[in-house]
Order: sequence, then structure tokens, then C-alpha cells
Amino acid sequence: MLLKDLLVGRRDRWQPIIREFERALGKASVIRRRDELLTYECDGLAAYRQRPALVVLPRTTEEVAAAVRLCDQHDLPWVARGAGTGLSGGALPVEDGVLIVTAKMKRILHVDCENQRLVVQPGVINNWVTQAVSDRGFYYAPDPSSQSVCSIGGNVAENSGGVHCLKYGVTTNHVLGLKVVTPDGTVVELGGAVPEQPGYDLPGLFVGSEGTLGIATEITLRILKTPEAICVLLADFPDIEAAGNAVMATIAAGIVPAGMEIMDNLSINAVEDIVATGCYPRDAGAILLVELDGIAIEVTENIAKVAAICRQNGSREITTATDAETRLKLWKGRKAAFAAAGHLSPDYFVQDGVVPRTQLARVLREIEALSERSGFRIANVFHAGDGNLHPLILYNGSVPGEFAQVEAVGGEILRLCVEAGGSISGEHGIGADKNCYMPQMFSATDLETMQYVRAAFNPKGLANPGKLFPTPRTCGEAANAQKSAQFKGVALF
Amino acid sequence: MNAIATSLRDRLGNEAEVVPPEQLDATWQSSLQAALAPGEPLPTLVLPQTEAGLAAAIALAHAQQWPMLLSGNGSKLSWGAPARGIQLLLSTQRLNQLLDHAVGDLTVTAAAGLKLADLQAILQPTGQFLPLDPAYPADATLGGIVATADAGSWRQRYGSPRDLLLGLSFVRADGAIAKAGGRVVKNVAGYDLMKLFTGSYGSLGAITQLTFRTYPLPAAATTALASGPPEAIAAARTALLQSALTPTRIDLLSVSLAQALTEQAQPGLLVRYQSSPASVAEQVQRLRQLTEPLGLSFHTYTAEAETEVWSRLQARVRGTQPAAGDGAIRCKIGLLPSAAIAFLNDLTTLASQPSVGQIHASSGVGYLSLPAETEAAVITKLRRTCEAQQGYLTLLEAPPALKQPLDPWGYTGNAIAVMRQLKHQFDPQNLLSPGRCVGGI
Ligand SMILES: Cc1cc2nc3c(=O)[nH]c(=O)nc-3n(C[C@H](O)[C@H](O)[C@H](O)COP(=O)(O)OP(=O)(O)OC[C@H]3O[C@@H](n4cnc5c(N)ncnc54)[C@H](O)[C@@H]3O)c2cc1C
Repeated sequence: MLLKDLLVGRRDRWQPIIREFERALGKASVIRRRDELLTYECDGLAAYRQRPALVVLPRTTEEVAAAVRLCDQHDLPWVARGAGTGLSGGALPVEDGVLIVTAKMKRILHVDCENQRLVVQPGVINNWVTQAVSDRGFYYAPDPSSQSVCSIGGNVAENSGGVHCLKYGVTTNHVLGLKVVTPDGTVVELGGAVPEQPGYDLPGLFVGSEGTLGIATEITLRILKTPEAICVLLADFPDIEAAGNAVMATIAAGIVPAGMEIMDNLSINAVEDIVATGCYPRDAGAILLVELDGIAIEVTENIAKVAAICRQNGSREITTATDAETRLKLWKGRKAAFAAAGHLSPDYFVQDGVVPRTQLARVLREIEALSERSGFRIANVFHAGDGNLHPLILYNGSVPGEFAQVEAVGGEILRLCVEAGGSISGEHGIGADKNCYMPQMFSATDLETMQYVRAAFNPKGLANPGKLFPTPRTCGEAANAQKSAQFKGVALF
Repeated sequence: MNAIATSLRDRLGNEAEVVPPEQLDATWQSSLQAALAPGEPLPTLVLPQTEAGLAAAIALAHAQQWPMLLSGNGSKLSWGAPARGIQLLLSTQRLNQLLDHAVGDLTVTAAAGLKLADLQAILQPTGQFLPLDPAYPADATLGGIVATADAGSWRQRYGSPRDLLLGLSFVRADGAIAKAGGRVVKNVAGYDLMKLFTGSYGSLGAITQLTFRTYPLPAAATTALASGPPEAIAAARTALLQSALTPTRIDLLSVSLAQALTEQAQPGLLVRYQSSPASVAEQVQRLRQLTEPLGLSFHTYTAEAETEVWSRLQARVRGTQPAAGDGAIRCKIGLLPSAAIAFLNDLTTLASQPSVGQIHASSGVGYLSLPAETEAAVITKLRRTCEAQQGYLTLLEAPPALKQPLDPWGYTGNAIAVMRQLKHQFDPQNLLSPGRCVGGI
């Protein structure tokens, strides 16, 4: 068949289907023009692009269910999308498939401070939740750096973390219940307003399932009381190892800070170049940020202990802040670290891996060696308290072949993490990016067992196909070579 | 000896001890009697020495289509719906090794049959602990605690098993060994089977190894009990939760339960602080300032008196003897926390005495202990009250005559079909603890 006939055939097939979607959701909620579809080609992992056949923007659970049912009837693969900030290609559309975007589902449905919970639609932006309850003295704990742009639905799908996860846990520890449209279009309630409902822990299973089990359309979240005292401590160190030792010693002293973050010299300078905080010494090998919160007396006691620990481990200068303004100033550089990396080099690739805290120093040394071997500069900014590394590999995407090399370096870092007893993802998810690395962590039997879950929710495999698990098509040797060839020379960002 | 025991012995050799039904000791017999539907014959007990032995036993049972019950020490075998047609009882009792305590990482990996009490004794010298306070703490194994999602008042600060479990290995229904999660505190690779197995009551696979996060043992602790009229307790609850105080436990106690601790016939608010000595002292003082204007009486307990209060509470609500040793009916409940005080009041008027109830003030999860003679209608009424507050009432321990007509689980949601699908995928032949879990799964 000629290409022209194929395209015409495809269009003919889609015409009646599009009309059905328009009837179900209204014309304004169905996007089909090629130029408008462009916005949805990729998520935060812009190296992978795929234009969907159709984008729909439902407003309610019923509309989501109607859209999913149409997909089911016509056997159309579909992908859910929140704000599209994901970094593992989870919201990457599938060819000839439908993208279901939650951008019009942005209502906070119910606030119940008395019971410390609230119900939101999935398109609600993470920090709106805290904004909705902060005047009553509450907040929503999971705070990814992308919190001003990412959606709660995306957070649920990725089980996102943040800088305060060390003490308060990640998304899954704060989701009580979910209303979900399963891939056959049924609406089910997983969990509810009260935790530990009889039967299987379905909210626990759904959180972190990366859009492969259905779409969350209502989410019940737990909120916490704002602590009475917060103190941020900034300490500089001659090298990363010394900063890492201070982290270890803090934990060994029985202190559980809200968060502990380390930045290396390269990231310090990148940040100072861009946001000029003036707080991070450019000549430091590393800086450590520790946030402590709780009862004032406890915070005062612990901050003194942490400061002493930092000094013992070679810190030259220690700054602490309790007032909101100075605290924000100390955090500002850390929050801008990714953006700053963008100024160090034309492109950067964020890796996300986890090692046991005790292995941090060793693994970071090996990453440094890898950087020297490969010739790519690697900046390190990471959640030190829980061993979650975020090496930023700097490269130039317009040089043919560089992206493929960077992917290989990224893969090497994951191998180091797994060897150290860690994980290939702490918070960004597997998606389309790391599914081929899953066999490094999990045996064929483990993966087969996880597929039971997918088969139970998603028997036809229409929801987010090709993500999370290795597939012969994407992970075969030949397929891999083809993937990098396909992206060669494409402007990536 | 029956044919099943013989073929198991042939197959497993010294990988496992095989005990035919007629040789079961009194403890196993009573656990089983409480677990099986009336008139059911006793099964053969298998005590594997290794994970491989457990896998081999399950593979054989799978090939032979023998329905199995899975257990640790059997202390909670009576929970869930009564089992029928069980040929084998598999116990992880002998899989009790500590596998790795990564002290600096605050993680611990152990075999599923290790008792919580033994694990705490191992962790204690390193200044760490696993913050779980489930029923039957002396007997409960890690695997059993996870399989029943059992926890206690520490939920306030540390969550329940789902929040502490980082990774697990298990034997599938077909005898293959699989794992999920890992040994690090942060990990999103693959589906969270840890959550799926937490509270699965042995219906999806036999848990063999678990990795938990541990916490530093706080330096000091004090418990305070405020008691007084229900309205004042409700006001104290609200004030406490609106305050910035950070207790590790907050429980609302029914009149009869508070009475068992203080001799005062009024409901109570039991609060535990664990932190540095100065922080604990200050927080207790601030709690006193919160509660005294409300006209509540205030007692504090430290050192042995504190341990004593909590163990008395535990014994009264959750029992000391596994398998309904005292004949009481024990329930797990959940409801919106704002309705907890009213519920505990109803409990006092509705149920015959001595009925006791404890509800965790933030989560709304709680436990009841009702006299053996409590009628089904009363339990149904209590269940409806929980349901009206978006909650549930599950019968954990109760005579079969109650569990049969009442449905022990009390699940009211609409996701049973999803749960059935999951069960079908993990155990297509329905051999693992058949019928014990929610909805007859
Ligand atoms: C600058 C920057 C900083 C970041 N910092 C962090 C960080 O600190 N911590 C962290 O964890 N992540 C971080 N991220 C990653 C990202 O923001 C999170 O993964 C976020 O949760 C994604 O949300 P989203 O709404 O953009 O989801 P999307 O990218 O749109 O989708 C992510 C996944 O969720 C699925 N999905 C979306 N909505 C639903 C739904 N309603 N139901 C079911 N599935 C759904 C999609 O199919 C996809 O698989 C960062 C990203 C950027 C760009």
C-alpha cells in the first residue's frame, strides 16, 4: 500500500471516532489539529516525542469515563496527562492513540480541616493544596521542586517526593482515597476518607502506578498541621564526602530532619551565576542544607546538635535561619538548581537513582570517575537524607550522537545505584525512559508478577502501553539502536 | 499418617517439619479451631526451615490442588472469614532470621517469621526500633503483622505497616519466589506490591522476607490522660489537633476503657509524647494548659507506670490471649475522627457492658472489644454508625455464629471486582487462604 493510502485510511478511521468524542465531551474539549497537538508531544523528558492522534480535555469523572469507554470500544491505546512535567516520559503519547489531559479538572472539591483531609480533582496544582488550607494552619507535605506547576494526578501516578520527604514521607503516605476510571471505563472508589478500609490496599497499589492502571479523577489527601518552628541550616564543606558524613552523623544522633540536601561545587557555582543568592560559598566543595521543624524547643536543641556535627565534619561556615524570608533565601539556590544547570550547558539530562545513605560517598566518587572517563560534566544536587541522587549530566544536544552517549552515562549511573543496593528511581518514575533498566533490579519472575497487577486492571493493555515494563519492541538490542538513531540530531529542548 | 503428610515429607525431607493433623499440639489446634468453619477437619501443618522449603511446599500444594492457610505463629488465624476445605497450614515460624540491619541507613531486613518482640530486642542496643504496636506483641511475627495490616496507637506519628514497609519477597501460588520494592527508603521502581500484600491475609502469596524502615528511639517519654465529660474531651481533641504539639500517640477512650485505667467513669484522651526530655516536659505542660480550662482531670505517667498504662490498655482492647482466649468479640473500626467521641458514647449506651473502645484521634482507626454475648443486631448498629461516617467495622475475633450471618469484613465500597481480578491473577486456582479475605476472596 502507498503511504498516501495509509494516511487516508488512517484519517478515515479516525473521523467517526472523533465525532463520538466530540459528542461525549463537547467540541471544545477535543483537540485534533496538528499544530495544536504539538504542545502535547512530550512531557518533561523532551528527548522523547510522539504526536497523539487526538487530545481530549474532560472536566468531570463522567467525561473521563466516557472518553475511556470510547477508547475501550475502539481498542484505542490512551495515555493520561497532568501538567506534563514528568521526567521519565510517563505522559509520552502513543502513536495513533488518545491523550487524556486533566488540565480542565482543577477544582478543590471539599476541604475538611476538622478531619485533616481534602478532596481534589487531579488537575489541581500541587501547591494550591497548601494554599487552600494554610490560613487555617495546615499544609500538604509532599513538595516536589516542580510544585508550582505539577498536578496532584501526576504526583499520584509517580508517587512524587520532595525535600520534606525524609520526615513526612512521599505522596503515597498522604493519599487516603481515589476515585478512578479503570481502563474499561468503570468508576471505582479505592480507599476513602478513612484509612485502612477492609480488603486490599488499592490506593497504595494505585499510587506510583504511572497511569497504567487507570485515571484518578478525585483524590482524597491528608493534610498536616503547620509546625510551630522551622529552622534551616546551611553549612559548607571541603568536599562532598565530608557533607555526606555530616548527614550520617545527624541520623546516627537520632535526629530526623524534615529534609537534608547536598549540592556539589559545580551546582553551587551554577546557582550563584544565575540567582546570585550570595549564601553559597563558591569555593566550597559542597554545601549541606538541613531543615528541622517541630516544637520550638526541640528545633533549637537539634539545630545546635546539627551545627556541632557539621563543624566536627569540617564545615567552615554555618548559617541558620528561622524567619521565613531568610529561610527562603537559603533554599532559593537549591530550588533553582535544575534551572541553573540549564545555563551551564546547552542541555542537561537529570538522572534519578537511589543508594543506601551509607553508600553515598562511594557512589559519588564513582560518578565522578565516570564523568572523567566519559568527558561529560556531571553536577550533583541530591536528597542526601534518603540517598536519592539527581546527577545532572551536561551535554550539547546539537552534537550528533551526544544524547545517545549521555543516555549511556545515565544508564551507567543506574547500574552503580543498583550495585550499591539501591534503586533505579527514587521519585521520577520508570515511564518510557527506564523500562529497559527494570531487569537490573527485578528478575523475570518479579516482573511477571508485577504484570499480574496490570492484567487485573488493564487486561487489554490500552492504558499507557509500553511504559514501566520492558517490552521486546523497545528494549531489544536492535530496537535500542534504532531509538537513538531516530532521535539523532533532533533539537532536544 | 495421611497421604498429604507423607508426600510432603517425601518431597521436603529436612527442608521442613511436617505435622499430620492428629499430632498437632494444643496451641495450633486452638488457633485452627478459631480459624476454620465449624466441623472442618484439621489440616496438616508444614513448618519450612528455609524459604526454598516453603516454596517447595507451595509448589507441591499447587500441583496437587491443596488449599492452604498461611500463617506465622497463628496468633491472628482467627481473623477474617472462617476457612473451609483447608488441607495445609503453612507456618513461617522457623523462618525467623535477621537478614540485615543497615544501622546507618535505618533499614532492617528480616525473614517473615521473626517475632516483632525479638526484632525490637535486636534493634534496641543500636538505639533504634520499628514503631509498630500491633496485637499480641509477644507472639506476632513480622509477616503476620503485614499480612493483617495490624498496628496500634503509633499510627499517629509513624503510620501503619504500609508506611514502614520498603520491600518484600514472597512465594507465589505456583511456588515461584518473587520480590518487589527494595532496601532503600525511597524507591518508585515497579508496582508497590508492599501495599498490595499489606492486609492481604495470605490470599495473594506467602511473605518470606521484609524490609522496614526503622526509627531512632526517642530519649524520653511521658503519657498524659485527660478525662472528663464527652463534650470537653471532644473540645480537647480539637484543640490538641489544632495545636503544633507533636505526640506519637493520641487515643480517644470509651468510658469503660478510661475507667479501667483511672477508676473514673468518664471518657478519656490518652496522649503520648516521645522526644528529648525538655521537649516532652514542655509538651506535657502545654497539653495540661489546653485541657484544664475545659474542666478535664489530668494525670501523667512516666517510666514503668507509662509502660503499664499502655499494656493495660492493649490487653483490655486487643486481648492477651490469641484466638479469642477470653471469648471477647474484637473489631477493627474506622470512621471520620470528628465522629469518634459520639461513637464511643453510643458504644456505652448501645452495647452491653463491659464494651470498650479506643479510636486513634487523627486517623479515625480504632478497636473495640465487646462481650461474647453481644447480639448481631448491636454489632450491625455500630457498623451502620461507622458507615454513616464514611468508615467500616470489621469483626476480627468473633464466634462463627456471628461471623457467618454478619460478614466479618464489612466492606462497602465498589471495588470488589478489582480485588477479585487481582486475586484471580495472583492465585487463579484459589488455593491461598481461600474465602478468608474480603468478599469471599
Ligand atoms: C523542574 C522540575 C523539578 C522536578 N522536581 C521533582 C521533585 O522534586 N520530586 C519529584 O518527585 N518529581 C519532580 N519532578 C517531576 C514531576 O514534576 C513529577 O513527576 C510530577 O508528579 C508530574 O506531574 P505532572 O502533573 O506534570 O504529570 P505528567 O507529567 O503529566 O504525568 C506523569 C505521569 O502521570 C500519569 N498521570 C497524570 N495524571 C494522571 C491521573 N489523573 N491519573 C493517572 N495517571 C495520571 C501520566 O500518564 C504519566 O505517566 C520535577 C520536574 C521538573 C520539570
